[in-house]
Amino acid sequence: MKKFLAIVLALCMVASLGVIACAEPATEITLWTYPIGKWGNAEAVEALMADFEAATGIKVTVEYLDYTNGDDQVNTALEGGAAPDLVMEGPERLVANWGAKGYMVDLADLWDEEDLAQVNPSCVSACFTADGACYEYPVVMTAHCMAINYDAFKAAGADQYVDVESHTWTTEGFINAVNALYEYYGEPVADIYCSGQGGDQGTRAIVNNLYGGTFTNAEHTAYTADSPENIKALELLQSLEGVYFNAAENGGEEITAFRQGLLKMAFCWNIAQQLPGETTGNRTYDDEEIVFMSFPAEDGKAALCGGIWGFGIFDNGNADKIEAAKEFIKYFCDGDGTEAAVRAANYFAVRDVAGGNDISGIWADNETMNAYNVLMPYLGDYYQVTAGWATARTEWWNMLQRIGDGGDVATEVATFCANANAAAAA
Amino acid sequence: MNNSRSGMSRALVRRETTAGYLFLLPSLFFFLTFVVYPMVMCIITSFFDSNMGKNTQDVFIGFGNYVELFHDPIFIGALKNTFIIVLVSVPVVMIFSLWVANCIYDMKPWLTSLFRVVFYLPVVTGSVAVTVVWKWMFNNRLGIFNYLFKSMGIIEKNINWLGDSKYALACIILILLTTSVGQPIVLYVSALGNVDQSLVEAAEVDGANRREVFWKIKWPQIMPTTLYILIITMINSFQCFALIQLLTSGGPNHSTDTIMYYIYYNAFKLYRYGYGNAMGVILMIIIAVLSAIQFKLGQSDS
Repeated sequence: MKKFLAIVLALCMVASLGVIACAEPATEITLWTYPIGKWGNAEAVEALMADFEAATGIKVTVEYLDYTNGDDQVNTALEGGAAPDLVMEGPERLVANWGAKGYMVDLADLWDEEDLAQVNPSCVSACFTADGACYEYPVVMTAHCMAINYDAFKAAGADQYVDVESHTWTTEGFINAVNALYEYYGEPVADIYCSGQGGDQGTRAIVNNLYGGTFTNAEHTAYTADSPENIKALELLQSLEGVYFNAAENGGEEITAFRQGLLKMAFCWNIAQQLPGETTGNRTYDDEEIVFMSFPAEDGKAALCGGIWGFGIFDNGNADKIEAAKEFIKYFCDGDGTEAAVRAANYFAVRDVAGGNDISGIWADNETMNAYNVLMPYLGDYYQVTAGWATARTEWWNMLQRIGDGGDVATEVATFCANANAAAAA
Repeated sequence: MNNSRSGMSRALVRRETTAGYLFLLPSLFFFLTFVVYPMVMCIITSFFDSNMGKNTQDVFIGFGNYVELFHDPIFIGALKNTFIIVLVSVPVVMIFSLWVANCIYDMKPWLTSLFRVVFYLPVVTGSVAVTVVWKWMFNNRLGIFNYLFKSMGIIEKNINWLGDSKYALACIILILLTTSVGQPIVLYVSALGNVDQSLVEAAEVDGANRREVFWKIKWPQIMPTTLYILIITMINSFQCFALIQLLTSGGPNHSTDTIMYYIYYNAFKLYRYGYGNAMGVILMIIIAVLSAIQFKLGQSDS
């Protein structure tokens, strides 16, 4: 009798498990997102996910990564076979790294002729590999820029070297401004931060633009930081008393020092820093005015480093989840959720029409975003998809640290290129 | 009758042994899964050129990673830095914590507890919080050290403590010391409190002074604790990682790289898993050999 009861009980438990399994939503997927605007804010993202679930019945569980440890978390998950279904970041990770290593699902089937015509061409080119595979579907983009403390510039008489209407300046103007500020304040006014951990686009952009150098060749097959233009730029930065190579500072800390008024210009900047909200927007902590600027170039026309963000799908071998993840991408990148996704990211949409809706005017009511549009024509080549990118990034920091320590520029850039190109060829 | 009794006894022993093994099973499972298996995989992977690619096959290269290691100047530098950290921090932690414990263990209980709390606080405070505070103290523009040293006329202009290869490693060691002394002090206070007082009193009656009482009576009795502290402090120093990652990321120019950080750098920044694992094996061998020597010396002392 006891045995009979035990069997009945066990059967009931098994049956109840089946009922629970049946009651679960049709598909449940996971998204890991880096802090791209409010895509790093749980409250904002949960609202987006609730809308998506209401529209599709697909439940999305979200985890939030940061730029300090996010890559390690994803890599550990990949090694352990526990990668998320979706990840939100840029082509340098999704295409050049995880995509190139074979971890991502090819999203080429999500694109039709209309999509290819609609989406910004540099975004399309960054998201596709040379052999036609697509590992990221883009949703937003921006141009990374720099910023100046305009009140400090005026106090030092350096405002004459910047054009705050067009937000551009020349290399000569930059040199004069740095010297004027240094003379006025008596201490370095700009940092070439190089402790690592993010923000590297800022230091690359200042070096590449001063004399028209490039970071890679046009085909994105080799690193070209050892060009005479780049050497000249680094020698200039090394020689300026107002510029300090700070091996104890990263991009985030440079922004903090700039907002504190300790630095008079910041190389790690973009529109997200400029918007009021979690930061103090276009003011320093002492309420001085911050003006965003293009990087200085000899002719004033810089090639700005682009930021492109979108979604990629990890190939976890589950066709249902991959299909659900693709539905997620269509909803947020070319559907009813696109406008909300773009607003949450605080950047510009990569297309004007999404899911039949005109989204070209979503920032029409935002003065700062409108003003920032002036920099978008300067968007340069998206070279972050060059092979060996992970090594190139870390080698870049090491090179700047050695130059800051008094190393010979020509020797150090040659070492950088040798190491980075070896990684690209591997 | 006897046969039947011994049969029952054997059955009982077998049942108890089985039960014992069953009780051990959960921890054995975790030990095998999370300690032994990763160790074995670490050793195996160290013989491969492994880069985490899903579509790329790991290539067996024998001792290739080990040969490369000893031709890699950054690894040699990291090894040197690791030994500097161990050689400085272990004796300082041992001596300082023994001195503090000896001073406070026979104070009034509330005073002993107060000191224990003061020294143990950095241990229980999150390492990230501790590191952020130290980072601000070492800041080249607003840091308190620059302010104090300039006020006292020791330095003329601000020093970038963590950004200058001359000072960065020393700063790391200083922070490591503050976070490492808490546990040894607590252990020593406890060990000194357990020293047989009758032996101490007998020695004092025989005319032994404080120094003689300490070295002849207390020191031998706290030797097991000393050995334990020595080994855990050494292992912690060898495995110094979080401080480096949060403060300097191994910079400037690899001047604060340790083996642990360089393992992380190769495995997770450069995706060279085989190479990173080879370093892990070297670190494991170093720690095992030094621990064995310490055990041997400790046993011969006792």
